[in-house]
Amino acid sequence: MKRPATDFPSLARIWLQQIAVLSLKEIRQLLRDRALFIYTVYIFTANIIIAAGGASNELRDSPVRVHDADRSVASRDLIYSFQPPRFRLAGEVDSAAEALRLLDRGEARMILDIPPDFAESLRRQRPAHVQALIDTSQANTGYLASSYAARIVARFSEAQVQRNIIRAGGDPRNLPTIRNEVRVWYNPDLNDKWFNTISELLTMVTVACILLPAAAMIREKERGTLEQLLVSPLTPLQIMLSKLLSMMLVMLCGTTVAIFGIMQPLYHVPFVGSVPLFFLLAALYAFTNAGLGLVAATFARNSAQVGLVVLLMVMPIVMLSGTWTPMESMPAWLRSLMYLSPLRHFIEVAYGILLRGAGIGLLWESVAAMAAIGIALFALGLARFRRQFA
Amino acid sequence: MNLARVLALAQREWREILRDRIYFLLAFLLPVMLMLVFGYGMSQDIENIAFAVVDEDHTPLSRDYAHHFIESRYFSFKGYLPDADAADRLLAQRKLRLVIVIGPRFAEQLRAGRAAQVQTLIDGTFATSTRTIQAYVEAINLAANTSVRSGYLARRLGLPPERVADLLHPVVLEVRYLYNQEVRSIWSVAPGLIMLILMLVPPLLMALSVVREKETGAIYNVYSSTITRAEFLVGKLLPSVTISCINAVILWLLATLYFGTPFKGSLAFFGVATLLYILCTTALGLLISLLVRTQQAAMIISLVMSIIVSIQFSGLITPVSALSGGNYAIAHAFPAMYYNEVVKGAFLKAIGFEALWPQLLVFALYALAVFMLCYLLFRKRTRT
Repeated sequence: MKRPATDFPSLARIWLQQIAVLSLKEIRQLLRDRALFIYTVYIFTANIIIAAGGASNELRDSPVRVHDADRSVASRDLIYSFQPPRFRLAGEVDSAAEALRLLDRGEARMILDIPPDFAESLRRQRPAHVQALIDTSQANTGYLASSYAARIVARFSEAQVQRNIIRAGGDPRNLPTIRNEVRVWYNPDLNDKWFNTISELLTMVTVACILLPAAAMIREKERGTLEQLLVSPLTPLQIMLSKLLSMMLVMLCGTTVAIFGIMQPLYHVPFVGSVPLFFLLAALYAFTNAGLGLVAATFARNSAQVGLVVLLMVMPIVMLSGTWTPMESMPAWLRSLMYLSPLRHFIEVAYGILLRGAGIGLLWESVAAMAAIGIALFALGLARFRRQFA
Repeated sequence: MNLARVLALAQREWREILRDRIYFLLAFLLPVMLMLVFGYGMSQDIENIAFAVVDEDHTPLSRDYAHHFIESRYFSFKGYLPDADAADRLLAQRKLRLVIVIGPRFAEQLRAGRAAQVQTLIDGTFATSTRTIQAYVEAINLAANTSVRSGYLARRLGLPPERVADLLHPVVLEVRYLYNQEVRSIWSVAPGLIMLILMLVPPLLMALSVVREKETGAIYNVYSSTITRAEFLVGKLLPSVTISCINAVILWLLATLYFGTPFKGSLAFFGVATLLYILCTTALGLLISLLVRTQQAAMIISLVMSIIVSIQFSGLITPVSALSGGNYAIAHAFPAMYYNEVVKGAFLKAIGFEALWPQLLVFALYALAVFMLCYLLFRKRTRT
C-alpha cells in the first residue's frame, strides 16, 4: 500500500498540482462563459483598433472663415497661408453678425478679420491689426489654433520685416536670431495612435485583471460550487491563487495578441525594451490587481453586481492614474493619493519599456511600489474571503 | 393603455430599486462619481510642466533666455543641469518633461547679429499634451527672439524701441477667445461629461432592470398578467427616466457649482433637450434588454456601446467634422453627438431653441423610433 507522502518536497508538489488542476478548470469555465469570453477577446482586439482611430487633439482641416475688408493682394496672400493640414478656408463672411452665427453653429472654428487699411499699413510700415476670433469651446484645440495662426502670421511677416529693416537702414542678413530646435523624444512624429493604443491596452489590462478573477470567484458563489471547493482538501489560499494564476495567463495571452498581433503590425508601436521584463512585470501587475478583484467578489452576490462593483473601482483607477492625461494637471492632493493606484506605477513600467527601453534599473521604484500594493491587496482579499466563507 | 396599471408597475419597480442596495447605489452614486473622476481625469490644463535648463554659455544673456521659461506660469523650474547627459537621464526617468539646452557661444553669436542655437528636448510619450507644450515653447521663444532683435536693432540703428517694435511686427494678430475666454479645460470638459454620463448610466439601469426579471423568472408574472406590452414598457421606462432626470439635475449642479462652468443659455431649453435625450438613451437600454438574456451580457453590451459612442463618436474630444466616412456615419446614428451640440450651446455659447431646434426634433423622433422597435420586439408569448 502506498503511504501518503509526508516529506516537504512531495507535499509542495501536491500543493502545486492542486493549483494547476484548479487553474485549468478556471480557464475551461471562462471559455464556456460566452458573454465574458467574447468580451475578453473584444477588449484585446477590436477595442484596441477602435481606440487607435479615436481621440486626438491634433488640429486637422479646421474651418476658417474670413472677413476681408481690404481685398488687396497682401490680404489675399495672408488668407491663402491658412491651408491644410491644419486649417481649411471655408469661405468669406460679410458681417460680424454672420461670423458669430457660424461660430455658434460650429461651421467655423476661427474667423479672421482683416481691416480695410491692411495693405496700406504694411506699405507705410505701421502695424496692421488682424483680428482672430477663435472658438475655444474645446480648450486645447482652441489654444493650438491660436498658436498655429500666430506661426502663420509670423512667417507671412518675415519678408515685410526684411523690407522694413532695409528701409530703416539696417542689414536684414545681420540680425540676431535664436534658433530653437525642438526635438521630441520617444514619439518623434507625435503619433497619437501609439499613445492611444498603449493607453487603451493599459486600461483594458486593468479591467481584465480586476474583472476576470472577480467573475471567476462570483461564479462559484452564484452556483453554490464554492461550498464544494471549501469541503475539498484545498485551502482558501489555493482557491484564490488558482483563480489569480489562470486569469493572469488569460491577460498575458490577450496582451501578447494586442501588442504583437495588432499594435505592432498595424500601427508600428515600438517595443524598445526587453520583452521578458515587460511580461514579467505585467504578471506582477495582474497579481497586484487580482486582490482588488477578489475584494470586489466578496462584496457582490451575483455576476451583474460584481460587474458594477468592478466598474466603480476601475473608473477612478483608470481616469486618475495618468493613463489619458498627464498627472501634472491634477490637484496636488489627488496626485499624492494616486500613488496608491497600481496602474499609476504600471504606466511608468509599460511606457518605460515599450517606448523608452527602460530597464529594471530605472523602474525599480515602480516595481517595488506595485509589489507592496499587491501584497497588501491580496492579503485584504484573502482575509475578507476567509471571514465570509471559511 | 390603462394608467393605473402603468403606475402600479412603476411603483413596484421603484420599490425594487430601493431594496436592491447595489442597484440603488449605482443609480445615484455612479453618475456623481463619474462626473468627479472624469472631471479631474479629462481636463488637461497643461501646467506645472517639470523642466530644467542646461546652460553651456553661462552669460547674462543666456540666463535671460532661461528666465523667459522660468517665469512662465505653465512651467515649473527644477534647476540647472550640468550637461546634456544628465538631461537624458532625467527625461528617461520621467522626472522632467522638458529640457532647454542653450548652446555655447549663445551670447557671442547674438551680439554679433548671427543665429544662436538652442535645443529643446521634450518627452513625447503623451502625444496630446506634447503638442500644447511645443506651442508654449514656440511662443516663449518668439517673445525672447523679438526682445533680443529689437534691443539689437535699437542699438544698431539708433531708433527708439517702439519704432523698432513696429518694424519687427508689421502684422499684429489680435486673438479673441470666444465661449471660453480663459481657455480653461474644465469648462469644455464638464458639459461634455453630462453628455457622456447620460449616455452611459440610463441605458445601463434600464437594461439591467428588465433583464433582472428575465433572470429571476419574474418576467413570467408579466407574461401571464393582463398588462399589455405597451403598459409594461412604459411602466419600466418611467422609474428609470425619473432617476436619470434627478441625476441630470445633480450633474448640472456639479458642473456649474463645483467645477465652476458658466451656464450662459436658457435653462428651459436645456431642460427640454435633456429630458428628450434621456428618453433616447433609456430607450436604447430597453432595446438592449430585449435582445439579451443575462444581466452580465446586458451590462457588457450597454457599457461597451455607451463608452465607444460617447468618447469616440460624439465630438467630445475629436470634432465630428474631422471623422472619416464610416465613423462620421456612426456618429450620426446615435443621439450623443446631437446632445453634445446642445450642452456646448447651452453652457458656453448661449444658444437655444432658435438655433438648436433640429436637435430636439432628432431626439423626439429617435426616442419614438427606438420605442416602436422595442414594442415590436417585445413579445409576451415566447415563440416556439
